[in-house]
Amino acid sequence: MSVLKGKPSTRSVWTGRISIGLVNVPVKAYTMIKDQSFSFKYVRRDDACPLKYERVCTLDREVVPWSEVGQAVEVRKDEYVVFSKEELDALRPESNKKISLRKFVPLSQVDRVFFDKSYVLAPDKSGDSYGLLLKAFKEKGLAGVGTFTLRTKEYPVLVYHYRDSLVLTTLRYSDEVVDPRSYEDLGKVEEPSREELDIALKIMENLTGEFDSTEFKDTFKERVEELVEQKMKGEVIAVEEPETEEVRELMSALRDTLAQLQKT
Amino acid sequence: MEDLTRVRFTNLDKPMYPELRLIKKDVIEYYIRVAPRVLPFLRGRALVRTRYPDGVEAEGFYEKDAPPGTPGWVRTHVKYSKSADRDTSYVVCDDLDTLLWLANLASLELHMPLSMVTDTSKPDFVLFDLDPEPPAGLGEAVQAAVLLREALDDRGVKPYVKTSGRKGVHVLIHVEPVHTFRQTREYVHGIARELAVMHGFIVSERSQTNVPGTVLVDHPQNSERSTMVAPYSLRAVREATVSTPVAWGDLPSVRPFDHNIFNVPDLAEDPWRDIWDEPQDIT
Repeated sequence: MSVLKGKPSTRSVWTGRISIGLVNVPVKAYTMIKDQSFSFKYVRRDDACPLKYERVCTLDREVVPWSEVGQAVEVRKDEYVVFSKEELDALRPESNKKISLRKFVPLSQVDRVFFDKSYVLAPDKSGDSYGLLLKAFKEKGLAGVGTFTLRTKEYPVLVYHYRDSLVLTTLRYSDEVVDPRSYEDLGKVEEPSREELDIALKIMENLTGEFDSTEFKDTFKERVEELVEQKMKGEVIAVEEPETEEVRELMSALRDTLAQLQKT
Repeated sequence: MEDLTRVRFTNLDKPMYPELRLIKKDVIEYYIRVAPRVLPFLRGRALVRTRYPDGVEAEGFYEKDAPPGTPGWVRTHVKYSKSADRDTSYVVCDDLDTLLWLANLASLELHMPLSMVTDTSKPDFVLFDLDPEPPAGLGEAVQAAVLLREALDDRGVKPYVKTSGRKGVHVLIHVEPVHTFRQTREYVHGIARELAVMHGFIVSERSQTNVPGTVLVDHPQNSERSTMVAPYSLRAVREATVSTPVAWGDLPSVRPFDHNIFNVPDLAEDPWRDIWDEPQDIT
């Protein structure tokens, strides 16, 4: 079983119900995917004064207050069709606070390239009906297919049993995923010779193992954190650049030349 | 990396001579390996570079000034430039780091003036730039060089020769910096005229360069503002040739593209080894 080490959220991002036919189960959705990428704050380098973004008119350079900001579509260069908030709200899917599951499919039948983000569905209020649903999903081993509206966007979703809970995974629309075969470069792939293929297969066989996501770590983040510690202690940071193969070769030539120059 | 050089190498995999699949790393490595031979010629001179940031198949540009971002440890020489009507700061390549910094800027060609910054009006090299006019080529330039050597020999002067890396040949005399450029120019001009009288294919005036099959001895190259491609400098041509010092004995067998980035660093003999020890008397 894979090791999942993300910290649970304290607040749900959505509450509503799962509905299957006439059965309604109140649930709340918690984030399951915690983005841990490192992000920096932008400041002025000399005095660490934090910077902020402002919406500025491109013509008169005046700052535009939020109350005057509208949204628009550029139809031709410099020609915009402007929408009011009300007009857009009317277009947006209604958040009916419901995940309607209309169909059940084997999870393995859903192409994994559609998978986007996952949420944990936990029981809201009473847990009875949730327990029933969970048990049913577990025994049947199927995933429910439906739609789900989070904030202003509607997503296709799967709901399925995972580690004694119901998990919801949003899916990409089919026009958001590219068929690899539509890239021309793939038309140019040459047939390998039998010998080459045998060698490649041999290597793969030798390296066959089990996937373990704990083998991977975002080392950039760790190293930035280390440096922050050092900087806070007032230590001077020595910049170290990774040596590429090319740099190594240059350094070796350089060593010879320096020795030669010293002789003369 | 910091221990060996102050230069931070960048974009090492940038193609420089695409046809030969040479990248910037190869150019820098070349200059590292020939540094002991090339540095004595660059030292104390305001260098002109031809830079090819996108390789020899793209546009290159001449650079005389120290570019923006020149590190503080690079020696510069400030001089008033009449053409630009302002003080210009030139790069003086005194050490290995400066050479490598220039190489990292894709300065494929290094051009040196014939005088040092200590007194730019007094040359320490006299140059016979032998420039063949098609259909004449390297072969004819070599012939002219051999004839020139005999003429100098008669005067008791010992010249050195290098290929230009293109189709020309450079014959050089190292002198004490006591003459003016006007004097060295006239010296070259005088010998050129003499050769031109005796040998029909040699011409001494730029006005005659349109005569096909001739070799011009280009005496005006001896001027304070002119530069010569430095010995061991790469050339920005497809074949990655090098302006290479050769022994007089080897000169007649030299063919175009013989000396290039691949073989010059491995040359065992330095035919110009003694050039600095024997300043010649041309009076």
